[in-house]
Amino acid sequence: MTVLTFTIILLLGAYCAGLLGSLTGLGGGVVIIPLLTLALGVDFQYAIGGALVASIATSSGSGSAYVKEGITNIRLGMFLEIATSIGAVVGALVAIYLNNNIIAVIFGIVLIMTVVNQLRHKTDHENVKGSETARRLKLYGSYPLKDGTWRHYELTNVGGGFGVMVVAGALSGILGIGSGVLKVLAMDTIMKVPFKVSTTTSNFMIGVTAATSAVVYLQRGNIEPGIAFPVMVGVLAGALTGARLLKTLNVSTLRKIFCLAIALVALNMIYNGINGNF
Amino acid sequence: MTKQNRENKEERDIQKIIGNTLRWGVTVACAIALVGGAVYLMQHGNEPIKDYAIFDKTHPEYTRLRGIFGGFFNFEAYGIIQVGVIALLLTPIVRVALSFVDFVDKHDWLYAAITSVVLAIIFVNSISSPT
Repeated sequence: MTVLTFTIILLLGAYCAGLLGSLTGLGGGVVIIPLLTLALGVDFQYAIGGALVASIATSSGSGSAYVKEGITNIRLGMFLEIATSIGAVVGALVAIYLNNNIIAVIFGIVLIMTVVNQLRHKTDHENVKGSETARRLKLYGSYPLKDGTWRHYELTNVGGGFGVMVVAGALSGILGIGSGVLKVLAMDTIMKVPFKVSTTTSNFMIGVTAATSAVVYLQRGNIEPGIAFPVMVGVLAGALTGARLLKTLNVSTLRKIFCLAIALVALNMIYNGINGNF
Repeated sequence: MTKQNRENKEERDIQKIIGNTLRWGVTVACAIALVGGAVYLMQHGNEPIKDYAIFDKTHPEYTRLRGIFGGFFNFEAYGIIQVGVIALLLTPIVRVALSFVDFVDKHDWLYAAITSVVLAIIFVNSISSPT
């Protein structure tokens, strides 16, 4: 395969990854890793570098819109970033000792968790009685409703959320993906943060977590210019198209199809990983 | 204007700056990578691709700051693309630094401290993690 052919295939693939990632809210990295490893036969180590680039691009690209709307809880994000960045440091250290097959199995498991999270029924926690720790840390906030009024919210179980965030950071450090599923789990399920605030704050944090690991992976050689360039350009273009389409499109069917596809990819990853094919 | 509303407005001002930083960072990074990519395709487009099936552990030039910026100023594709990657990596980190400035400005010392811990972790990790 020539450089030109490879670049065009990867550009198109990354565009679709960015498009689907932003339409479904899963981020770009989730599609980039299987695209590179399963479809193009690229070593997992390079795929992780590509996924990091994709994660930062989508997080920063779509994050800018959400922050402006005032949904993201910056204090909460900043406080939990201590946990995710410590996790990311640990993940990048641990990754040295993991072979590609183990990484593939872990990736498959995270993908399945992501699908389950997508399909579960979402409720916005209301009238949560916040904890004393959360109050001291000034983690309470308010977010805009559709009618323009602001709703106040409180949250609880800061310690539990912090702990899950360390794990989320470690997984991002190992896999290069944002592991948004664990971040949302920590905030939504454990700390009882309203769902919309959880997802936007999670998306916002993904960039910082991914950048923490990426500075190490860049020095290790995982971020290869010939892969980084088409991934960055393609994912960003796709994410921008996705953000436009989201305003007009009803994505619930697409989301279900995508979840099914991701579940199949996850099983494929786990199967190939257990058989030592990577 | 009630106190709550004023706080909400102040909060939104800084969020606007942060939002713009993220967008500009990504745009600049992408533009640099595009230039690098164009050079890369013009110089190497017809060559067969490097063997990506095997990870190269020899630490090529594009893994070191000196090599990256050396390549960038010599207008080498790998250097330009990696400078784009570095711009992309710096975007969220600059965002954290901006939040630090904002918290200091608001005399929110607790969050100024929390933010500086995050920055310290990123910094120490980037220079000391084994490669």
